[in-house]
Amino acid sequence: MIMKIVDVLICGLLLGGIYALIAVGLSLQYGVARVLNISHGELIMLGAFGTWSLYTFFDINPLISLVICGPVLFLAGFALHKTLFKSLLKSSGSIGAFEGSSLLACFGLLFIIQNIAITSWGADIKGYSYLSVPVNLGGAIFAANRLVTLAFAVGIGITFYLFLARTRLGKAIRAAAQDPAAAGLMGVNINHVLALCFGFGALMAGFAGVLLSMCYPVKATMGLEYTIIAIIVVVLGGLGSIPGSFIGGFILGIIGSIVSYIEPSLSLAAYYIIFILLLLVKPTGIMGK
Amino acid sequence: MLEISNINAYHGRVQALWDVSLRIEEAEIIALVGANGAGKTTLLNTISGLLRPASGRIRFLGERIDGLTPHAIAELGIAHIPEGRRLFPIMSVRENLEMGAYPNEAWKKKEKTLEHVFAVFPQLKERAGQLARTLSGGEQQMLAMGRGMMSRPKLCMIDEPSSGLAPKLVLEVFKVVKSLREQGITVLLIEQNVQHTLQIADRAYVLENGRIVSEGKSSELLKDDHIKKAYLGL
Repeated sequence: MIMKIVDVLICGLLLGGIYALIAVGLSLQYGVARVLNISHGELIMLGAFGTWSLYTFFDINPLISLVICGPVLFLAGFALHKTLFKSLLKSSGSIGAFEGSSLLACFGLLFIIQNIAITSWGADIKGYSYLSVPVNLGGAIFAANRLVTLAFAVGIGITFYLFLARTRLGKAIRAAAQDPAAAGLMGVNINHVLALCFGFGALMAGFAGVLLSMCYPVKATMGLEYTIIAIIVVVLGGLGSIPGSFIGGFILGIIGSIVSYIEPSLSLAAYYIIFILLLLVKPTGIMGK
Repeated sequence: MLEISNINAYHGRVQALWDVSLRIEEAEIIALVGANGAGKTTLLNTISGLLRPASGRIRFLGERIDGLTPHAIAELGIAHIPEGRRLFPIMSVRENLEMGAYPNEAWKKKEKTLEHVFAVFPQLKERAGQLARTLSGGEQQMLAMGRGMMSRPKLCMIDEPSSGLAPKLVLEVFKVVKSLREQGITVLLIEQNVQHTLQIADRAYVLENGRIVSEGKSSELLKDDHIKKAYLGL
């Protein structure tokens, strides 16, 4: 019995670590840059397929892919904001209109990225085996890659949190999230910070994709599920709260792991039930104002 | 130091400023007086770049600043302490002050400036680790003023610093405004409390319906019949 509990808990933490990264990414894009990026999952898919390709064709260690796929996606996200979203922001009269038009643009991006992935990698499930040696933890047996993934997810999350809490740019990002106009008056270049936030969001998606591919199969259409989970976690954690997204990710991961231990096909349904209950009872989320 | 010539500005389709011109010399305290909706805040927003004028020019230290973004204007040395304080509610008092020192030059000196601000507002030092939203109204205004000072500005524009404060705190706010000038900072002040404002200001401009209707030395405006009737309730 204890073995089972440890098993479910570690699985939950692993899922939670990945959900946390995904949600922190979406939180930066929606909470700060005001873009509800429903193509977020597609960026995760790109990270995962990038890692798969590098491993399969060039024999590159997935952990090294973190520093390849992550920065590439960061630059892509940054460039996307500097071109597409910046011009949308200019042409939209208000922030409300911008949220609408950027949502539609992301919808388009979702299809473009997904179809490019299907043409280049095919529509079938891919996977590779890395660090799948068993490790005994309190009687429960795990593949080593799961523990490595969890350690990296937590490490990346904490590093990013310290970046936001301690550095000058991190403080500017938090200020821009709380009051963009006032941050501008302080001397913060708002357009630049928003583009950086979008880039950091894509970076988190890329990291999550790399880590996911080490434990789970990869598919060109895998993105949407993760986008939905990210939206649920961001609302659960409280919109715009980075620590909230991080904690919310782990909560949802553990719940998902418990539910799928009882009945695997119900985990997504459980997420929706949590989402609906949350909107009814505490729509501001756990860390929301 | 600041020279505004023939500014016209709009809120959507409604014209908010009509042909406004204004001059501020170094180390002056200039008051902007007018009823609610007269365009005072709009004028400050236009100077700090939050609003782009449709026509006219703004020069600061000889350089044109109309059309620049707010962050570029802040870097030139204009601090805007906005209406409603606009603090960062879930950042600590210390972090709010650090944000005030965001421009490159100010960031290098931020520890020294912080000591100075803490000397002016000892309460802020006591509460340095607290989140800004947990402060009382008076402390929040002190923080807003301190944050403005952190950039070591040449010109400080303050919008309604005494709004919502108890009378005793209002006096304190005016004392701080006067001390800014003693540090060599030029001040452009908007205040509901016209009597007090005209007592500390060197000169004042009166805005009505987006137009400047009179200007002059504060001591003369205090004796002006129209001002007395409209703004001082005499």
